Amino acid sequence: MRFLFYDKITSIEKDKSITGVKTFTLSEEFLRGHFKKKALVPGVIYVEAMAQLLGWLVIYSYDFKISAIMSLVEDVSISSQLRPGFKAEIHGEIISTSRRDSLGKAWITVDGETIASMNRIIYSHIHKVNSEALANLFYYYSGIRV
Amino acid sequence: MRYFLIDHITEWKSGEFIKGVKSVAMSEDFLEFHFPKNPIMPGVLLLEALTQLTGWLEAASSDFRNWFLISKVRKSNFYSFALPGDQVELEVQLISPGENPNLKVYRGTGLVKGKKKIVAEFEGEIVPVAEIEDPDEQRRFFQVLTREMKL
Repeated sequence: MRFLFYDKITSIEKDKSITGVKTFTLSEEFLRGHFKKKALVPGVIYVEAMAQLLGWLVIYSYDFKISAIMSLVEDVSISSQLRPGFKAEIHGEIISTSRRDSLGKAWITVDGETIASMNRIIYSHIHKVNSEALANLFYYYSGIRV
Repeated sequence: MRYFLIDHITEWKSGEFIKGVKSVAMSEDFLEFHFPKNPIMPGVLLLEALTQLTGWLEAASSDFRNWFLISKVRKSNFYSFALPGDQVELEVQLISPGENPNLKVYRGTGLVKGKKKIVAEFEGEIVPVAEIEDPDEQRRFFQVLTREMKL
């Protein structure tokens, strides 16, 4: 499976916030085995979706000079009983950031209703990166040219 | 991919704890994207491995009537990376049954060669296996997961 859990970034504001969308379909690979009689989106997939999207905001805010790796999540609520066939809006905000790490929060809504929320996520910064390669990846992943 | 994040179950005690392993292989397709040219087992898939292990504990402890669906992560620390070639030793234990019998709290750890990769405390709902899987098939698969090679 392609381990990407957003389809597009719809808004991004440096050092502040990011929004993206992800359509969950019955063809998702992770639904093989989750489960055979009932297709339920695994809760941890929402955690990954929020972590991936907000991670890009951290990288974008540092002009692709760092990469961001999730090191802690805390106070996370997720819907465990959602069948695919919906479009999710993923929101992320940076709360604070330093040279070493960034703290943020994120949540996911479907038709205005919150289906997942994460009150704290910490990313460790990685300073040895290829900025050009990261910026190119960002273009492919987000649809936004920088 | 087949969304099976547990390769083998090594030990369990009804209603208390369960231990299992997940071997990380370079052939896992999620490693192509996580990360490009830098394959690292995604932390949330370690969390999923702990969740699935919890499901097996609930199933084995209830004669394959119950399963576990994660609904809250109180805290999950991702200490360092699990890499292709690593065997992650996972353990989950019940820390409180909760006031509501359909909601339980578990604590899980993942180690590679004694080094911590993940420690997580999470809650979940207990749901009937029969709603999501064929209980007899789950029972058979549990036997596959717990089997030992006999010479």
